[in-house]
Amino acid sequence: MTDSNGAHEPHGATGHEAPTSTNNPNATTNGTSNMPGATGSLDPTLQAASTAATRNKPPVWAIILAVLAVLAVIIGSIAAIRTLTSSNDTPAGHKESNVTIGVKLAPTNLDIRNTAGSALDQVLIDNVYEGLLDRGADNGVQPGIAQSWDVSDDGKTYTFELADGMTFSNGDTLDSQDVVWSLNEAIKQGYHGSEFLSAVDTVTASDSSTVIITLKEPDADLLWNLTGRAGLIYDEEAEGSYDPKTQALGSGPFTVEQFTADDSITLKRNDEYWGKNKAKTEQITIKYFTDNNAAVNALKSGDVALLAPIMPNVMQTFADDPEHYDVQPGDDTDKYTLAMNNGDGHATNDKRVRQAIRYAIDHDELIAARGGVDLPLYGPIPELDPGYEDLSALYPHDVAKAKQLLAEAGYNEQHPLKLTLTYPNIYGSEIGDMLRSQLAQAGIDLDVQEVEFSTWLEQVYTNKQYDLSLVDHNESHDIGSWANPDYYFNYNNKQVQQLINDARTAPTEQESEAKLKQAARIISEDAAADWLFNYRVTTAMAKGVEGFPVNMNQSFMPLVDFTYTKQ
Amino acid sequence: MQLSRSSQPGSGRSRAVWRVVLATMWAHGTGRFALVVMALWTAIALVSLFWTPVPLGLTDGFNVWAAPSLTHIMGTDGTGADMFSWLIAGMGTDLFIVIVTVALTAALGLLVESLMVSRSVALSQGSIVTVDALISIPTMLIALMLAAPLGATVIGVILACGIGYGLNLARVARPAALLAARSAYVESARANGASAVRVFFTHIVPNCMPVMIVQLSLSAGTALLAEAGLTYLGIGVPSGTPSLGRSIATSVSLITVHPTTVIWPGLTATILVVALNLLGDNLRDAIDPLRNPALRQLGHAVQSSDAAPEREA
Repeated sequence: MTDSNGAHEPHGATGHEAPTSTNNPNATTNGTSNMPGATGSLDPTLQAASTAATRNKPPVWAIILAVLAVLAVIIGSIAAIRTLTSSNDTPAGHKESNVTIGVKLAPTNLDIRNTAGSALDQVLIDNVYEGLLDRGADNGVQPGIAQSWDVSDDGKTYTFELADGMTFSNGDTLDSQDVVWSLNEAIKQGYHGSEFLSAVDTVTASDSSTVIITLKEPDADLLWNLTGRAGLIYDEEAEGSYDPKTQALGSGPFTVEQFTADDSITLKRNDEYWGKNKAKTEQITIKYFTDNNAAVNALKSGDVALLAPIMPNVMQTFADDPEHYDVQPGDDTDKYTLAMNNGDGHATNDKRVRQAIRYAIDHDELIAARGGVDLPLYGPIPELDPGYEDLSALYPHDVAKAKQLLAEAGYNEQHPLKLTLTYPNIYGSEIGDMLRSQLAQAGIDLDVQEVEFSTWLEQVYTNKQYDLSLVDHNESHDIGSWANPDYYFNYNNKQVQQLINDARTAPTEQESEAKLKQAARIISEDAAADWLFNYRVTTAMAKGVEGFPVNMNQSFMPLVDFTYTKQ
Repeated sequence: MQLSRSSQPGSGRSRAVWRVVLATMWAHGTGRFALVVMALWTAIALVSLFWTPVPLGLTDGFNVWAAPSLTHIMGTDGTGADMFSWLIAGMGTDLFIVIVTVALTAALGLLVESLMVSRSVALSQGSIVTVDALISIPTMLIALMLAAPLGATVIGVILACGIGYGLNLARVARPAALLAARSAYVESARANGASAVRVFFTHIVPNCMPVMIVQLSLSAGTALLAEAGLTYLGIGVPSGTPSLGRSIATSVSLITVHPTTVIWPGLTATILVVALNLLGDNLRDAIDPLRNPALRQLGHAVQSSDAAPEREA
């Protein structure tokens, strides 16, 4: 709102003053003599009044001057802001012990067990809390609290060997008892993430460093899921001694020094960390910016060392200055999904209509408009997830083909296809405008409705009242939603459901991946939705930042190796 | 004065009056500015209905935020659409919004005004209390309430502004209207059997005119700003419809990166609002016989030519 006011402000401030302060006698006398009928007044007082009134009216050139003055003020202030914010040079030095970084989505509290949202995963997992297993930068599974693991041939028994000498940040020892308690508690209390443990039958400890998990049925995703919320290990003895909403107690390389809701979190190095790889920076403050302009200014002025993410449309400012900034896109699993209501009673229930929409969309143009860093994506599985396959050949951009399919489905210029696109306004108006323009070329009349996220949740996600919807499905390993006929896609394909279930229970990874690949191809061929692109989060860093995770840093941002040296 | 001598009562006379009023406004610098801007605005709005340099629906993702060039004289926005085309088309939408809002404000204002000066105490006192209560509801809130069932629509903006400003107009014009309603000539007209409707339109409305014109021109300017504000909040002009508010909203979020793009729609809105306010001021001065001797002269001429044409010779 302040930005909008800024656009109007100068007219009230200067527009009125300038004309009255400049008074040209020549202009006013001319004005008087030209007045038709001014001499014809019978009443001298009225005559005087009219002359006075004329003198108070500023001439045209004064107004032009005023407008120019307004323009000068606007341009001048912008120039001033630019020079002020860009000329902030500090002397070169050593590694900073106290660094602030800028992030976008803020958590409302720290209770990771009972609060949804990737903002908590981002700041807490691997920094404050550690999982039974760890996630690599390639989205693969790595040793964490468990140093090694063994899977039985039938895929139903997992044996984990834990590391030695582990402690929580309060000094309590971490052993198999804590692991067993944490996993059982998650299942019993239904904590966030526990849905991924649905196949688990029992969790037991055979000795202080060995944990055995038995499953009801094989689950190919179990190991990966244990790297996330489902596998986090908490301190059993300390339970109840701290407030999980404002404090966090884990075994990670950092502790939470201070938490201010919706503003910032300060992490402090845990000097007693059990692992070999101790944090390289003593104190890191994570500051949250919802406003793009504020974020850009913070990085320009040196208030933050980096921004993760930086929005594609403001990225250019830093990309143009490679001497001071490093701008890097990171791989991620964000799928910008154009959902098409597959349910009865919708025009998009007709497969030809859905195919026409996929042919009509020019994905390369969408990506180019966003700065060209995103990857094309033509199916439900992104490159970082198991089962990925390049499906770009299925629906290339082809407006003629789209028109032909629409004609087959019974739409023409007299009876154009009218569809409504409902999407949350956080994604910006540009993407809706471009889709309307692209679909119009194929003869589809698209009504774009940008709504609040809560409205989207109710109208689209819960009530399934939509034709087309656009949302960023950022979860990894989430192809399961296509096997759920009650999900808002309204997609019900028995073959896909069977394949995805088979993939989950497949005894080997290869078999599982093959099934996922097959399922993804069917979903894409069915044109169940369109995948606009695979969003890559771009990170803008000041020169001197090292060891910051560029990939997947919106849901997983280990800061243990992060350092910043002021240049 | 030649014109007014030959003019006859009826349409000829009102044409002569308007000619004098326009000439008076043209003679003033600010009036001339307002008239020129309004004429340009109307012309641009009409042209944009049929033609824009680049078709509005055309986007070009490979050419976003382009610098000004011959094909895109103000550059392109985040979808590669032509900023200039959207700006002039937006001026058309805003002219429509302003005109309809002013008409609605005047209609509602006069309706409420007639209740306020009614001879029935219950009606007049009741309407005053009601209007006082309703005035406390901000226009923004009315717009939000309308947005719930209507969504973001042009109608919503017009209704919200029309209701808010109409009530204000009635309240501000009430003293002038009351003075006329309780005057001796209205008493006399009533005694001679003039109907309440006739008295309202021949005596009360003309007396409120100066106040109304200023108030309506303020409403026009504020309606334009309200459109920009409501569109920025997502409850004004819907996506895909050009408007000044949309042009500002799409560029303002990137003011640090593309500072020049927000200047044009912002400056346009500023000039239009200033012109609307100056138009109201000048129109009031020009249309008021007490302040405009030319008009008085015309009145004399007409009166003398009507009443005693033989004396002219």
